[in-house]
Amino acid sequence: MIEQRDIAKQRSRAVVTAWILAAVAAGIFAAYVLAAVLAQ
Amino acid sequence: MANEHTDTHASTHEGAHDDHHDHKPTGFLDRWLFTTNHKDIGTLYLMFSLMMFLTGGLMAMIIRAELFMPGLQLVEPDFFNQMSTMHALIMIFGAVMPAWVGFANWMIPMMIGAPDMALPRMNNWSFWILPFAVTMLLSTLFMDSGGPASGWTLYPPLSLQTGDSFAFVVFAVHMMGISSIMGAINVIATVMNMRAPGMTLLRMPMFVWTWLITAFLLIAVMPVLAGAVTMLLTDHFFGTSFFNAAGGGDPVMYQHIFWFFGHPEVYIMILPAFGIVSEIIPTFARKPLFGYAAMVYATASIAFLSFIVWAHHMFTVGMPLTGELFFMYATMLIAVPTGVKVFNWVSTMWRGAMTFETPMLFAIAFVILFTIGGLSGLMLALASVDLQYHDTYFVVAHFHYVLVPGAVFALMAGTYYWLPKWTGHMYSERWGKIHFWLSAISVNVLFFPQHYLGLAGMPRRIPDYSVQFADFNMISSIGGFVFGASQLIFVGVILHCVFKSRQAASDQVWEGARGLEWILSSPPPYHSFNEPPPINSSTVAHADEYAH
Repeated sequence: MIEQRDIAKQRSRAVVTAWILAAVAAGIFAAYVLAAVLAQ
Repeated sequence: MANEHTDTHASTHEGAHDDHHDHKPTGFLDRWLFTTNHKDIGTLYLMFSLMMFLTGGLMAMIIRAELFMPGLQLVEPDFFNQMSTMHALIMIFGAVMPAWVGFANWMIPMMIGAPDMALPRMNNWSFWILPFAVTMLLSTLFMDSGGPASGWTLYPPLSLQTGDSFAFVVFAVHMMGISSIMGAINVIATVMNMRAPGMTLLRMPMFVWTWLITAFLLIAVMPVLAGAVTMLLTDHFFGTSFFNAAGGGDPVMYQHIFWFFGHPEVYIMILPAFGIVSEIIPTFARKPLFGYAAMVYATASIAFLSFIVWAHHMFTVGMPLTGELFFMYATMLIAVPTGVKVFNWVSTMWRGAMTFETPMLFAIAFVILFTIGGLSGLMLALASVDLQYHDTYFVVAHFHYVLVPGAVFALMAGTYYWLPKWTGHMYSERWGKIHFWLSAISVNVLFFPQHYLGLAGMPRRIPDYSVQFADFNMISSIGGFVFGASQLIFVGVILHCVFKSRQAASDQVWEGARGLEWILSSPPPYHSFNEPPPINSSTVAHADEYAH
């Protein structure tokens, strides 16, 4: 018997994952530029 | 040998039914411009990267033609510098990285039993940014100020001498970076959330594992590149002095920031290659991958180490001795997990019932030739001797061994391996092997003499050279022309397979192949795994090893 899955639930979790990762990427970009500005 | 039996799995042959009711868009624009289907987007990525591979290859032919003999023959020195810069940018951001994203799109959902990528609309966007970005980058070659000529590293102050076209270069790099980040987010979101029930992390195929780790690298370092080129942009056009010593800035700071991106970038291009080779060797050795868990941990170790070795690209800038020692030893440490991988591939082949179809030939050539590139990398890691090797053709030989018979051969191996699955037709094995042998021989004629040129002191990125370097350069150029021409065979084999081949591929295609993609029909249905597939030892390669 194959366990069934809830695709809608999987996709909504995937969207949350994506926003977290996008925020991390934006944060890294901002941190580098900010650090360089402050080092001026 | 290819499996001639049509070995199908009943529960996965929704495919045979779906072929007739698969809701595939019929219009050309609907099918390709607005597509959200992972297979179509994968095909778009792969076709785009093949075109970029030929474009970048044409630039390489210009470079090797100019270097065929000493003196200036064909192009102006500044155009030569633009060619060497563009060749690298196009090959890295236009050919190799998009090719891996193409493979990820095609294979990851099928390998983990997902119906599609987690974020299909963003997937469409990540691809369609790329043609615009590359067009903008290439357009600089036709502008008055010319294309970038400072090398792909865009080191200031040289890169800041580019004219107004520099803004186009920076914007193109930004767009390609955004595309890569979105592709990486999609891979992580898919792998972490969309696996079929029972497909635990330590049951995933190695290709999926290597891509998951690559995606984390991409998200960590592409924003760093974006930051670096943004600062170049403001230095160039808005009067800031981030990297301008006269204004209180530091050009060496750019090198640190760039290589904090640049070194992991090298692993971004090679880790999925490790994954593909780890799929192909067990198939044609007809043995399970030796040390699966060790391979996973080795990949993660390489990824971690890639963040703490960046300054080995900068041994000649005048770092403190402790810094040089740290980066030297950290770099040498990478040989340990990489060695684990090489020994595991060899151990997988050991006493296997091997056959040598084209994918296996490319995979074996990868193991041997990538290792040569790895060993010359160890030589370059030695801070004391790097003072001699730095900026010579030895470096060019080293990274081309890693990237051409390394990453590109793995791409070719993967193409031959999965092309019958994608198209439903067998490619011409005879022409595949001709392509392999011509490529494998000519790539060594092309790049091996460059070791000697570098050791003898020939600098990189120059259009002219001393007559003492003439012989090896001529040999290298001949190898380059043969290698370039051989790739036309590759294009021919693909076109023949897609449009002309009459030999139908079975579902499993290769006798020793294991994994969820092989239980689908060839070609797979437009929408696959709407129902989760069974995960057991008959459908996946690593079902039993870590069963809980």
